Amino acid sequence: MVVFQMVWKVIGKNKIPTLIQELNKEYEVFTPVKKENLVFFERVSSGNEAFLDFQNTKKSPKEVFFPQTEILFTYEINKQGVEIEKAPVLKRDIVLLGIRPCDAKGFLLLDKFFSSGEYKDLYYLEKRRNTTIIGLACNRPLSTCFCTSMGGAPFGKEGMDLLLQDINDKYLIETVTERGEKLIKKLPWLKDAENGDIDKVRSLSRNVEKAIKSKVSVEGVSKKLDGMFDNKQWDLIHEKCLGCGVCTYLCPTCCCFDILDEATTKWKRVRIWDSCQFSCFTLQGSGYNPRPSGKERMRQRIMHKFNYFPKNYGENFCVGCGRCVQECPVNFDIREVVEAISTDIWREKDE
Amino acid sequence: MKPAEKEWTPKILAFLCNWCSYAGADLAGISRMQYPPNIRVVRVPCSGRVNPYFIIKALQRGWDGVLVSGCHPGDCHYISGNLVARRRFAVLKDLLEYLGIESGRLNFSWVSAAEGEKFATVVKEVVEKVKALGPAERLVKR
Amino acid sequence: MHNVENSIREAAKKLLSEKKVDLIVGYERGTLPLRTTPCFVDKAEDVRKLVWNENCDANLSKYLLSRKENVGVVAKGCDARSIAVCIFEKQIDKEKVVIIGAPCLGLIDKKKVKAKLDGRELLEATIEDEQIRLKGEGFELVFPKKDFICNSCLTCRHRNPPIYDVFTGEKVSEAEVDEFGEIADLEAKPAKERWEHFKEELDKCIRCYACREVCPLCYCKTCFVDQTMPIWFGKTNDLSDTMIYHLVRAFHVAGRCVDCGACSRACPMNINLREVVKKTEKIMKERYDYTAGLSLEKIPPLGEFKIDDSQEFIK
Ligand code: SF4
Ligand code: SF4
Ligand code: SF4
Ligand code: SF4
Ligand code: SF4
Ligand code: SF4
Ligand code: FES
Repeated sequence: MVVFQMVWKVIGKNKIPTLIQELNKEYEVFTPVKKENLVFFERVSSGNEAFLDFQNTKKSPKEVFFPQTEILFTYEINKQGVEIEKAPVLKRDIVLLGIRPCDAKGFLLLDKFFSSGEYKDLYYLEKRRNTTIIGLACNRPLSTCFCTSMGGAPFGKEGMDLLLQDINDKYLIETVTERGEKLIKKLPWLKDAENGDIDKVRSLSRNVEKAIKSKVSVEGVSKKLDGMFDNKQWDLIHEKCLGCGVCTYLCPTCCCFDILDEATTKWKRVRIWDSCQFSCFTLQGSGYNPRPSGKERMRQRIMHKFNYFPKNYGENFCVGCGRCVQECPVNFDIREVVEAISTDIWREKDE
Repeated sequence: MKPAEKEWTPKILAFLCNWCSYAGADLAGISRMQYPPNIRVVRVPCSGRVNPYFIIKALQRGWDGVLVSGCHPGDCHYISGNLVARRRFAVLKDLLEYLGIESGRLNFSWVSAAEGEKFATVVKEVVEKVKALGPAERLVKR
Repeated sequence: MHNVENSIREAAKKLLSEKKVDLIVGYERGTLPLRTTPCFVDKAEDVRKLVWNENCDANLSKYLLSRKENVGVVAKGCDARSIAVCIFEKQIDKEKVVIIGAPCLGLIDKKKVKAKLDGRELLEATIEDEQIRLKGEGFELVFPKKDFICNSCLTCRHRNPPIYDVFTGEKVSEAEVDEFGEIADLEAKPAKERWEHFKEELDKCIRCYACREVCPLCYCKTCFVDQTMPIWFGKTNDLSDTMIYHLVRAFHVAGRCVDCGACSRACPMNINLREVVKKTEKIMKERYDYTAGLSLEKIPPLGEFKIDDSQEFIK
C-alpha cells in the first residue's frame, strides 16, 4: 500500500484551457470534445476544444487504449524470410481528462480482461500503464444511468487518479492515487481547496447519488444465471434485436476483437473490434458457428456480462453507463432483462 | 515540378471482353497502331462478368483509372450480358461520381473485334483524361 | 390516432382469435421518451399492448424474413413497400403474411429533438394536436410537431400503404413533394466538395452496421463485408473501407430502397445515410422511371434491361 498525502486542490473553470495547454507539453491529452451534437473523447491540441459540460460521451473512452482498428505489426515477405516491424504503440504518456466514474470503472474491468491471467495484452497495457486519469464527477446523471446498481457512484473515485468535482464556477480536485499526486506536483499554481468547499462536494455527492432513479437489482443475478442456459426466455427476448454492433461498440467494457491480415503497400496484422451480436461472431473456418442465431448471441451478451465475467473475475461486466439503453435502434433495454432474471420471472415462466 | 511527379504515369486497369474488345486490342497490336502503354489488361469472358467489386477494388488498390470494354449492344456473345452490365455500370458510375470520385477515372466502351483503331483511340483518350486528373487519391487505401 | 390504434388492436385480435395468424408483429411502448419497441403478440388478450403513434419508427418488415408461422404485421406506407419488395424477391411468403396497413402520421426524428434540446436530457414527451411538449430537468417546451418530423417523412409520397390486407384508420391525402430536393445542393457541388462532405460524414462511422441491420432490404445471409472467401473489402474503420461499405450498400439497395429512413434513424453517429441512398432512388427514377415497392409484379431496373437504355457514359 502506497502512502501518500491526500490533497484537495481547486481550479477555476476558466483555467481548464490553461491546464490542458500545460499538460499538452508533456502528454497526449484526451478530453471530451463536442462535434455538432455529439460528444466524443478526442486528442486535443489546444485548451479550448475541451467540452466538460456533458452528461455522458457518445462512445466510451475505451478506444484510447483499445482502438477500433489497431495495427499490431507490419511485415514483409522476402527471400530472407519474414521481416516483422512492430507498430509503435505509445508516443508520449497519456492524460485522460473528463472521465466519468462509470467509464473509469470500465477501465478497471478491461484491465482484468487484458492483463490478469496467463496472457497480457501489451498493446493495451503499454498505453494503460502510462496514463493518468483525471475524472469528472457527475452532477447531472442521465435518466438511464444505473451506476449505483453496478457498484459505482456518480462521485465514485474507483479507477481515477484525480477527480474533478464541479461546484459552480470551479472544480475541486481530489487526489486519489500517487500518480495523481505526481501530476498535481507539476502544477504548483493550483490553489488549495477550502474546507467549506470540500464539505459542499460531499453533500452534493450524497444528493446526486440519491437522485439516481434508474435501479436494477443485480444482486444474485449471476448465481441465478447459472441454471438458466437453457431457459426458454432466451428464445423470446432476442427476437427484436437486429444484431447490430451499437450496444457492444458503445459499451465501455465490451472488448471482443478479431485479428486479420491486410495487404496494402505492406502486409499488416490488424486488430479490429468485434461484437457477439454479429452473425459472423465465432463463425469458424469450417462454416460451423456455435452461436448460430440471435438467441445464442443475445445469451452470450447477457451471460458474459452477468455470469461468465463475474465467475472469472469476480465482478459484473457492466458499469451501468446506460449507453446501450440510449442507443439501441429498437430500444432493447438490458435493465429489463436483468430485472426479469432477478425477480425470477424467467424461472417461473420456464416451469 | 519535383522529379517524382515528373515520372508519374497513370496506371489503368482494363477489363476487356474476350469476344470483342480483347480481340480489338489484339488487332490494334498486330496493325502496329500506337497507343500509350499505361494499361494492364484483364481478359474477361463478357462485360457482364465484370463485378462492380472489381472496379471498386481497383480504385481502392490505387489504380488511377479503370476501363471496361465489351461488345456493342446486340453483339454480346451471351446475347444480353452487356445489356445487364450497362445498367449496373450506369448506377455504379453515377454513385461513384456522386460520392466525389472524379468521373474520368471510370471509363466504359464498346469495341468490336474489328475496331482496332477505336480501341487505340479509346485508350489514348482514357490515358489523357486520367493524366489530367493526376494520381488517384480518393478511395485509395494506404 | 387513438382510433387507428384501436382499429389495429381490433384487427390484431380478430386475426389471432380466428387463427388466421399465429403472431402479430407491432409496436409497444418503449422504455424511453419518444420511443416504441417492436413487440410480438401471440395471444388475443395481449393486443392491448399494441400502440400506434409518431414514434413507431422501426421498419417491421425485417421481422418477417424466414418466418415459419403466419404473421400479421403493422405497416406504415414505407414498411408496406419494403414488404412488397421482399415478397417480390421471395424473402417473405405472401401467403403467410397479413399486412395491417395504417396511414403514416409522420415519424418524430429523435435526433432533431436532441439537437433542439442541445445537451439537456428529455425526460417526458407528449404529442397532442400537432404540438409536441418536451419536458426535462428545469424545462418544459412546446413546439409544433412539424419541426421534428423525419426528413424521410417530409418527402414521402406514399403515406398510405400501397399494398395491405387490412386497412386501419382512414386514408390520408398524399403530398406533392419534391422527392429529390434534399440532395440537389450536394449534387450541384463540384466533385471535390462532395468528396470532402462524404469524407467528413462517413469518417464518423464506427462500422456497427446498425444501418444495415435495420434496413429491410439488407437481408443477405452473409453480407459482402463479412465474406471471407475472398475478403473483398476491409473491415476496419479506415476511411477507404468505410466509404466502400457505404457505396456498395447503396449500390445493393438501388432500385429496392423505399426511403423508409430507418438507416439514418438507427445510426448512433448521426450520419445521414439517406443522403447516400437517396441518390440511388433518383438514379432509378431518372434513368429507368422506377419507384420501388409499389407493385408485386414489376421487375426492378437491375433485374432487366432494354436495348435502348441510356448509355451516354459509354464510348
Ligand atoms: S443495439 Fe439493440 S438491436 Fe443492436 S445488437 Fe444491441 S440489442 Fe440488438
Ligand atoms: S452493458 Fe450497457 S449499461 Fe452496461 S456498461 Fe455496457 S453500455 Fe453501459
Ligand atoms: S462477448 Fe459480447 S458482451 Fe462479451 S465482451 Fe464480447 S461483445 Fe461484449
Ligand atoms: S437503405 Fe435506408 S432508407 Fe432505404 S430501405 Fe434501407 S433502411 Fe430504408
Ligand atoms: S450491404 Fe449488400 S451484401 Fe450487405 S446485407 Fe446489404 S444488400 Fe446484402
Ligand atoms: S449505423 Fe452509422 S455508425 Fe453504424 S455502420 Fe451505419 S453509418 Fe456506420
Ligand atoms: S460477350 Fe462481349 S460483352 Fe458479352
